[in-house]
Amino acid sequence: MTVETTPVVRATGLGKRFGRHWALAHFDLEVHGGEVVLLFGSNGSGKTTFLRLAAGLYKPSRGTMSVDGHDSVKERLECRRLLTMVAHDNYLYARLTALETLRVWARLLGSPARDSDLVPLLEEVGLAERRRLPVGGFSAGMKKRLTLLRTRLEKPKIVLLDEPFSALDVAGQDLVEGWVERFREEGRTVIMASHNLPRATKLCDRAIALEQGQNVWSGSGSELVEREAKAS
Amino acid sequence: MRLLAQALTVVRKDLLLEWRGRSRIISVLLFGVVTLLLFSFAVGPDSIALRASAAGFLVLALLLSSTLGLSESFRLEQEQRAVEGLLLLPVDPIALYYGKAMSNTLFLMLLAPILTPVALVLYAVEIDPMRLLVLLGLWAIAAAGLSAPGTLYAAMTSRLQSQDVLLPLLLFPLVVPVLLGAVKAVALILTGDPMEQIRSWTILLVSFAVIYWSICGLLFPHAIEEGL
Repeated sequence: MTVETTPVVRATGLGKRFGRHWALAHFDLEVHGGEVVLLFGSNGSGKTTFLRLAAGLYKPSRGTMSVDGHDSVKERLECRRLLTMVAHDNYLYARLTALETLRVWARLLGSPARDSDLVPLLEEVGLAERRRLPVGGFSAGMKKRLTLLRTRLEKPKIVLLDEPFSALDVAGQDLVEGWVERFREEGRTVIMASHNLPRATKLCDRAIALEQGQNVWSGSGSELVEREAKAS
Repeated sequence: MRLLAQALTVVRKDLLLEWRGRSRIISVLLFGVVTLLLFSFAVGPDSIALRASAAGFLVLALLLSSTLGLSESFRLEQEQRAVEGLLLLPVDPIALYYGKAMSNTLFLMLLAPILTPVALVLYAVEIDPMRLLVLLGLWAIAAAGLSAPGTLYAAMTSRLQSQDVLLPLLLFPLVVPVLLGAVKAVALILTGDPMEQIRSWTILLVSFAVIYWSICGLLFPHAIEEGL
């Protein structure tokens, strides 16, 4: 693993307000290239809001957010070229098959979308045999597996994962774990929000606790395990 | 080139989804036929009055059916936030707009070949096949003029519960020039054009289509990003 010294994701005084409620308030964070960072905290603590701000899907109510030096609002497209995000929503069209979905994504990314390249990806997530079935009939776990393939198609510098283990069976969770390890080896930056601490703490270089939209604790994965053990 | 390739991928995806669903095409066409029938019932058995109003009725039926079709066009994109997934890939919002607008134009163009013969029979209008082809070509231009602002407003209103009401309220005032131009030009095709005015109406329709496609293309990125 190589962790660069220049931050690739930088949030300064970041805040996001919905009506009167601040989902994220005065949040500062620097994530360096090649780092795997875990965001954890209870529901509504601001994890997803931060990831969506990083992806340029929300405009900050205050503060700034930059991705590899690009402002996440003014240079949205440049930022998005550097990252991919797998969120709670699976971004799928129910009437397209798994293979057609990958073809659409690949073509939009400018790749030739050859079946010989796409079918092995579906094999990797255990969906090759169902590649000609509409994804509307897939289970939540199968949809998640398909959506996770975006991280393999895009090969981005930064991977944002919102609850990557949710809806997946043990084999699926192992698969995601393996991918995050691979991303780390390839020097990509991973920021994930997860409630699955046993899995996530094994993977992360740094863990950050959020509470009511604020950064309340940070430490290594092993420190987080100790903290959680004491708390329980 | 990347922009064009992305837009064409969006068109291809939309056409595939439409074909798989087919419910939107069928329901919009049926709505158009029912509208034409209602207009003929409203006028009654007066064939002279029917013929005189045929152009207006046909274009209005096409416009109302188009609005119904446009309002559906972004619903699929909102399921599972698929549009967000496209933007994250990242697809340039301008490519997304032109892709959606092109597929909407193709969809609206499909209405005329079905609704026009129905209108001709209901309103007792006789035209030769050549003029029918001219009418279909003219509707293709009008469809482009309608789908450009229609796509923009459909995107803006797609997340609102009152989309079905809001879309026509926003769209109709903006497409009045297209409506007037289309009614005049269709009337000239149906009743004859001794003064050769159809050319100027066609130019007007083309001009509005070009203006709408340019302005709406510029506005769409703001509309879609703010609506996320």
